[in-house]
Amino acid sequence: MKTLHPASVAVRSLSRSLNTGFLFFVVGIVASPGGNGTDLLSVFGLVAIGIVVGIVYEFAYYRRFRYELTGDTFDVTSGVLARRDRELPLGRIQNVDIRQNVVGRVLGIAAVHIETAGGGQTEVSLQYVAEAEAHRLRRQLRRGGSAPGAESADERARDADTEDEFEPTADEDVLFEIRPHELAILSVFTIDPGASLLGGIALSFASGLDPMALVPTDRFAWLPGPESGLFALAWGILLFLLAAWLISAALTFTRYYGFRLTRADDELYYERGLLQRYSGTIPLEKVQTLTISESIPFRWFGYAALSVETAGYAPGQSDSRGTESAIPLADADRVGELARAIEPFGPTDLESPPNRARERYAVRYLLVVAGLVGLAYALARYTSVVNRWYVLAAFAVVVPFAAHLKWSSRGYRIDDRYFLTRTGFWRRTTKVVPYYRVQAVIHSATIFQRRRRLASVTADTASSATLLGRAATAYDVDSDRGLEMQADIEERLQDRLRARQRQRTADRWVRDSSDTTDDDSAVENDDVQ
Amino acid sequence: MERLTPRVRVVWLGLALARAAIFGGLIVGAAVGLTRTDFWESAPDVLVPAAVAIAVGLALLRVFVAWRRYGVWRFELRDDDLYIERGVFTRVKTVVPYVRVQHVDSRRSPLERTTGLATVVIYTAGSRSSDVSIPGLTPTRAEDLQESLRELAIESEGEDAV
Repeated sequence: MKTLHPASVAVRSLSRSLNTGFLFFVVGIVASPGGNGTDLLSVFGLVAIGIVVGIVYEFAYYRRFRYELTGDTFDVTSGVLARRDRELPLGRIQNVDIRQNVVGRVLGIAAVHIETAGGGQTEVSLQYVAEAEAHRLRRQLRRGGSAPGAESADERARDADTEDEFEPTADEDVLFEIRPHELAILSVFTIDPGASLLGGIALSFASGLDPMALVPTDRFAWLPGPESGLFALAWGILLFLLAAWLISAALTFTRYYGFRLTRADDELYYERGLLQRYSGTIPLEKVQTLTISESIPFRWFGYAALSVETAGYAPGQSDSRGTESAIPLADADRVGELARAIEPFGPTDLESPPNRARERYAVRYLLVVAGLVGLAYALARYTSVVNRWYVLAAFAVVVPFAAHLKWSSRGYRIDDRYFLTRTGFWRRTTKVVPYYRVQAVIHSATIFQRRRRLASVTADTASSATLLGRAATAYDVDSDRGLEMQADIEERLQDRLRARQRQRTADRWVRDSSDTTDDDSAVENDDVQ
Repeated sequence: MERLTPRVRVVWLGLALARAAIFGGLIVGAAVGLTRTDFWESAPDVLVPAAVAIAVGLALLRVFVAWRRYGVWRFELRDDDLYIERGVFTRVKTVVPYVRVQHVDSRRSPLERTTGLATVVIYTAGSRSSDVSIPGLTPTRAEDLQESLRELAIESEGEDAV
């Protein structure tokens, strides 16, 4: 049984006491006696109690926390008030991530997060262990996981112990390293949703919490009343966007600085981060879906991104953003090559939806324009905000182009071993789903789709990133063709499963007949899902 | 293709009416409240009749959907997969291979217990949309179905369904 790194008490209680200290600070402010004047002494007393409680708790947490890597499970015993014993079968581990923030890098400690499929959150977090221990754990967890039952537990444990010090760099080949210009383009054009919030906060501090302080009122004092108000508003929005953009660029830059993706036999290993170091493994045998996305500014420069989804991260898990992405940005050709190295799918020339789909989009957009015009008319009729309501009808000119673009960016392909779908004009995403990963095939037709004999076919997988309909869906295919596709995907799924089953029996037979258990344990990737 | 027990319409109609009553009560109540009190001085006279009309219209729609749903609902235990067809406005046809079934629940709400019906829920490791439930089964049929799904899932065996 091993314990966490002793320094984790200090780091954890620092962050914990910031929390509890703040909580008690608030409690102190609210509950302090004396009406309008708060009693500083009692507030600070409470804060001190909060900090002490935090430190004591963290010390107890450290004393209680034990983990152990056995032959085929990873056991964790933890909990101060409520105790918990957890056993993770190594074969079920999906991802192992290592995170290090600035403090951790100074102290040489790292957090290890272990993900399995199912469950709402990270299954095991070791906060924190020594850096070397973290990397040793990552290697051993994966090694144990990729060869279940091949060796006896004792053998493997012994094996693991003797190999502690060796970095297996020899068989790691670098698949991808981000180049400076790629990082620059990525930073400049990525819009980080968190950055707008940070930008707002930064701006409000810069202005001394008075938004009008940043507006150079004297510059356009010559403008008449309402215009100057509008101008001030536009100025404020411009400043805000600028701040958000700068922060977003800086965040993206530090996040993906030094991005490196390597492959060591059956798993991908990534490293990234300037201030905070992130690294982790993506086992190739657990890959559910590949997503190639080409957002609009990047597509113009011929760049694309690749993300690899496993079943490890729960949907909506806040910090999973980025961890699943295999390549943040690279040449579209390189991305295609790399994706094919992971899953050897064929060409990506796709079948387009029928022309009826394009008509459908045109009608849909026309309806939107009509709705807008109607709204403008209502506004013009009942208020005096809008005068020329009919101007909005000019948008109708754009409709055919928009409909065509939407139509032409959609497509699908029933490959030999993969189901490919593509959708999105602004953010064109191509999904590659191996048939043996399909969980269910859903053929759905809304009332509007049925009018035109269209349907959408979704191949659902156990991927984590299926929030907001991100599953692989072929939109608006011909209804009958959709039924065919559904049957086809299902049939190929059964075929692939049978093939893998045969493979497995053959493997087992080979293993049983010849007693060389050590050698074929490495080849037998197909065994675990 | 197997159809549901016709009695399931009672359950659906009951639910539809209950929901319509709650929603209708809310909007009609709000309209009456607005006209009676002086929150909105110049409340138009049509407010209450309009609210009633909306409530009745929605209730009729719900009842229609509940009635129609029975006509659409079909399921079949095929060789390798479970096939389900459903949906009044959006017609959904789902194929769930037995290999992917994680576990099977059978469930009876109070309304279902009074009408002597049961629901079977089939879970997969996929996203929410691929968990399917088959309502409107007689308790014995639900038990049978659960049993045979369990057997089919074991039979198709294999990997750990992720």
